[in-house]
Amino acid sequence: MSLTVLLIEDDRELRTTLREALAVENYRVLAAASLADARALLAHAGETASIDLVLLDLGLPDGDGEALLDALRRERGIPVIVISARHSDDPKIRLLDAGADDYLVKPFSLGELLARMRVALRHRGTLVTAAVTRYEQDGLVVDLAAHRVSRDGADVHLTPNEFKLLARLVRNAGQVVTHRQLLADVWGPEYVEHTHYLRLYMAQLRAKLEDDPADPQLLLTEPGVGYRLAEPTA
Amino acid sequence: MFLLDGRTDIGNQALILVLAAALAAFWLPPVASTVACAVAVLAFNFAFVPPRGTFAVDLHQHALLLVTMLAVSSLIALLLARQRQLAVKERMHLMRAEQLRGLGEALRDAEDPRSRGQLLQEALSSLTCAPATLLMLPEAPSDPADANACILLGDATADEKAGLWLSLRQSQAMGPGTGRHEEQAAWYVPMRGRRSSFGAALLPLHCMPGDAATMRDQAQALCDQMGLALERAAALQSAAAARDAAQSQALRNTLLAAISHDHRTPLATILGAASSLHDQADRLSAEQRRRLAATIVDEASQLARLTDNTLQLARLDTPGLTLHMDWESAEEIIGTVLRRVRQRDPAHPVKAHVEHGMPLLRCDAVLLVQLLDNLLDNALKYGGDSARVEIVAHRSADAVVFAVRDRGPGVPPEWRSRIFDAFQRAAPVKEQPSVAGAPARRGAGVGLAVCRAIARAHGGELTLRPRRHGGASFEFALPLAAPPESDDRRAKKSPPT
Repeated sequence: MSLTVLLIEDDRELRTTLREALAVENYRVLAAASLADARALLAHAGETASIDLVLLDLGLPDGDGEALLDALRRERGIPVIVISARHSDDPKIRLLDAGADDYLVKPFSLGELLARMRVALRHRGTLVTAAVTRYEQDGLVVDLAAHRVSRDGADVHLTPNEFKLLARLVRNAGQVVTHRQLLADVWGPEYVEHTHYLRLYMAQLRAKLEDDPADPQLLLTEPGVGYRLAEPTA
Repeated sequence: MFLLDGRTDIGNQALILVLAAALAAFWLPPVASTVACAVAVLAFNFAFVPPRGTFAVDLHQHALLLVTMLAVSSLIALLLARQRQLAVKERMHLMRAEQLRGLGEALRDAEDPRSRGQLLQEALSSLTCAPATLLMLPEAPSDPADANACILLGDATADEKAGLWLSLRQSQAMGPGTGRHEEQAAWYVPMRGRRSSFGAALLPLHCMPGDAATMRDQAQALCDQMGLALERAAALQSAAAARDAAQSQALRNTLLAAISHDHRTPLATILGAASSLHDQADRLSAEQRRRLAATIVDEASQLARLTDNTLQLARLDTPGLTLHMDWESAEEIIGTVLRRVRQRDPAHPVKAHVEHGMPLLRCDAVLLVQLLDNLLDNALKYGGDSARVEIVAHRSADAVVFAVRDRGPGVPPEWRSRIFDAFQRAAPVKEQPSVAGAPARRGAGVGLAVCRAIARAHGGELTLRPRRHGGASFEFALPLAAPPESDDRRAKKSPPT
């Protein structure tokens, strides 16, 4: 059975293009041009079919979608990917902090979109069920349950905070995790402004886990937003 | 004097009287001291000059003594009185000069002279000992007759307001002694600038002061000081407005040039490829279709980069721009740039060298990535052998230096100073595309301009340095900031848990 995607995008051309492209990838696409449309579709879909993923464009004619995000995440646990037109000064970080799964900045390629969707769908339902507990990529193995990290077969010793930070990224492997989320989860809510902790600890983690810390392949930086652990290709 | 009676002669006794008269003149007004002197001389005559007990004078020499006494005493009284008058005048003079100086200083320090109106009001009130009223034109060069927009300090009746406006418009004082509207019970003094007046003051006169002319002059001097300050402020304001207008005009030109020069080429390519796919789809081979589609993807990403750069340039030109400053690591920024370049151009890996133990940087990561990405993009396109393009970050005395280096043909000397200006190619300089191919670069105009704008927004500078054995090195020195508070060794090793 194909997965259902709710696409909320006000530009008709982009909506049509994405809809067709996603249909080719075997997704069932519901398209909405405004928040009101989206609400109607959600109400309707609630009775007939479930929605597996929402692509939410910011800057819709009737609002920026924050209210919708709340309903989607809290009540239904549906993953949301935010599509933003601007690089900065926009609500995307706020929405990510509020629980959106990932973001894309316009213009984006279909490849990027599909990759983000794939990751978001894999993490679907992790709010209620067990999170990802094992990560394997490029010789790095992280086993959260066993509290073990190894690289090319050799155990790597991490300090407690390094491990907590890595674990937080592993649980959302492939997805962006904002600075605020990382700081709150690893150090505590009173440290959400201390971005410099992240810089130092990420540098230490890279030194232990990456071949070339200056050209990381696993612990990726999303400038101004947060960090992303590379999506496992396996 | 009675003690000395009989012991000294009458001449010496008279001297004592002269001394007393002089002392009296110190404190008493001139008329009083002169009268006191005359009485004293008569009394002396009565009591001491023989024949005693009468006003008669026996000897001629005694008469002469009495007359001289009277004359000297009066003279002393008059001289001292005059001296005192001069001192009072001098004090008034000083006080007025001080008033002028004080107001001048206050006006000089004030951004908007209107905020110092109260000082002028106080000064004028103290001059006539009656509350003065000020009328000043508003800051914005709106309709000067718009009474609502004007600033009125103090109270005025409708008649008085009309008088203030008349004085302001005609730049002439009115009231007693000015030759205009003598019947008024107040002075109307304009605040004159060089060309016109910027306000007026109303000084009610309850009683006509003695030296009215000087007082009016003083009032005029005070008001003129305010007038000149207001004129200066207006001139500064219009100069700033003109500068803003020129700047936004320049920005508009830049954006127009960006669209006409840099955006059209990729657009033309996209349109060409897309219309070919659309119109000739049946006759194209699968391979041709794939190539056309790839061209569209490439050119569209090129266009996206151009748009990013153009918009960023416009944004950085906005006054009052705030950057999203945070603590960032040079390693992460370079890592991000490398990943972007690799995604765009996997065939040409770029070498990176980041000095070990770099301090954290205070910067806007998104902007810094954009800067370095642009520089790398340029180097890969125009910097010759792409295998020898490298990005370097190292620490200098008080800055972190990012450098993007290539071993290409370099930038010809005549271009070095202008290469950072947006749209140099639009300048009426003879293009020399043959020279190293540098000026023919597409999109380099806005790319390097935005790089420099980003560097400057961070308080740094972007420079171009030719390399000794050929090639160019674009270097951005980012000044170091004081490290974050808890960023000491202890915090690094054992962070709060």
